[in-house]
Amino acid sequence: MSTVNLRHDLILADDNIRLREGAGRGLSIALLGLGALLTVLAVLGAVAGDALTARTALFALHTGFILSVAFPLTALVLVMIFHATNAGWSATIRRQFENIASLIWIAVPFFFGILILQAVLTATKGEGGSIPYLWKWMNAAYVEGDPAFEHKRGYLNYGFFLVRSLIYFAIWIGLSFALNSISRRQDEDGDPKHTITLGRLSCIGLPFLAFSIAFAGFDWLMSLDFHWFSTMYGVYLFASCMVLSVALGTLTLITLSSFGKLAVAFTEEHLHDLAKLLFAFTVFWAYIAFSQYFLIWYANIPEETMFFQVRRAEPWTGLSVAIPIAHFILPFILLLPRPLRRSRGFISFMCVYLIIIQMIETYWMIRPEVYGVGPWHWLDFVGIVGPVAIFLGLFVAKVASGPLIPLKDPRLHEALKHKNHI
Amino acid sequence: MSAHSVTSSSGAPLHAIMAEFPNPAVVSHAAEKIRDLGYSKWDVYSPFPIHGIDEAMGLKPSRVSFFAGAGAISGITIALLMQWWMSAVDYPMVIGGKPYFAWEQYFPVTFELAVLMTSISAIVGMLTLNGLPLLHHPMAKKERFLRVGDDRFIIAIEAADPKFNADDIRKLLADLGGEHIDEVEE
Repeated sequence: MSTVNLRHDLILADDNIRLREGAGRGLSIALLGLGALLTVLAVLGAVAGDALTARTALFALHTGFILSVAFPLTALVLVMIFHATNAGWSATIRRQFENIASLIWIAVPFFFGILILQAVLTATKGEGGSIPYLWKWMNAAYVEGDPAFEHKRGYLNYGFFLVRSLIYFAIWIGLSFALNSISRRQDEDGDPKHTITLGRLSCIGLPFLAFSIAFAGFDWLMSLDFHWFSTMYGVYLFASCMVLSVALGTLTLITLSSFGKLAVAFTEEHLHDLAKLLFAFTVFWAYIAFSQYFLIWYANIPEETMFFQVRRAEPWTGLSVAIPIAHFILPFILLLPRPLRRSRGFISFMCVYLIIIQMIETYWMIRPEVYGVGPWHWLDFVGIVGPVAIFLGLFVAKVASGPLIPLKDPRLHEALKHKNHI
Repeated sequence: MSAHSVTSSSGAPLHAIMAEFPNPAVVSHAAEKIRDLGYSKWDVYSPFPIHGIDEAMGLKPSRVSFFAGAGAISGITIALLMQWWMSAVDYPMVIGGKPYFAWEQYFPVTFELAVLMTSISAIVGMLTLNGLPLLHHPMAKKERFLRVGDDRFIIAIEAADPKFNADDIRKLLADLGGEHIDEVEE
């Protein structure tokens, strides 16, 4: 029934699964240069401006940091789900997600960069300690006598915060390094036992990964306003960011195949399934985002409604109305028809669109904490795009550095003749 | 009426000519040939769904999703109208200081009704498109046909097909590997 001619020697020919020496180097250097330039601009803007400008720049950089960590982190989730569910169809496309996930180390320099910048700004523009820059609770004078904070003091203190962050980094870097190196070792020796090891590692690692993502969300984002709390914030962050890595991976695969690579290894069928994942995570996001909003709206408790109160009021009203439409209703309708989900052009458009929408939504999650500065300050653009461009530059170099598919995965034949019957 | 203008060897109106096939590969291959010859009124009967048989038979994508979509849209509309009428028009009541028409509060019911109407209309649509329920089918009279529920694959080309010609079809089915070629009376 299958009309695909499965010639393994042709599929595994070097010009099908490897980029030539130096491919993408120009793009990578351009992205890295742009990212570095924009990041430096944002830092300079923070150092040179007044207290409010500095806060704006720091929040923008923080958004950029979260986004450039979210790409590899959610890719790691995806790779581990592929392994844990023994997903044969994903064998040929997995390497690109591994490439994204391998850049998780970027979290460490960015995180400490943000902490150092915050310390410098607080020291130079402290205004008597009344404006702590990013995490308000880090300022002892600010939280003095705050009853809401007294309850959280045991958790929200600088030392424990650092220890927790280091634990997250250890889990993420450890998992991503292990998964990547075992998968690459299989490229060389072709031992099918590695696949079993990867599956076990993923099953054990997924709960740790899930909890560390949730708690990183609590620590780095939710505690920006330490009065506010939402127990589903972790899953909300995860649900919204998942689309980033699915979209970036799909875009990479489409780009590679438009350069004549990955023939048979990446087909319309794989595209269709990736588009289904895009669709699934848009719907999942809508479900989680609405549930969070709904519970807070219903209970109507001041500490909880603060988050939405700020975002529903001017100048954030427009964005708050636009995000559900742009992030759910439009993609839901557009990704529903089967022919559209199998169209390379349309799906690459949707990938870019969803990445941009997700960047705007993360911005909406973080930036309204700076009171008195409306959306779309110039520092927002440089501060967010800077770190993300650095990440993308590193990613392009990573893609070009090795074979584009796992060469000796025992499930390769499954992925090569993968078909969607519905 | 063309169906009844064709008669079987015993003189009764003919419904179809059927042939048995031993396995899914042969029946899929036969379906591809029959599709390419341009027959339109025919069917493949199998004990289980065969991957790729839709394509081999040249079937168009199912239209059940349109029924489902219509059900979803009417479910959303009905639910919102109902709740708006009940809590903002007929018996306005302040609950928890919320507005009379608070869309947030109506969302769960709207979602549930949309899912319910979608599934009901998908089932009704499926039954309608399949021509079900059906009290009797001429094929059911054939002893051999009943084995299609067990381990046999059958192709039947109906007399209603514009290209129907009993002799050609007998020969075609035999060439494609069909066994026990038989007439099915109306």
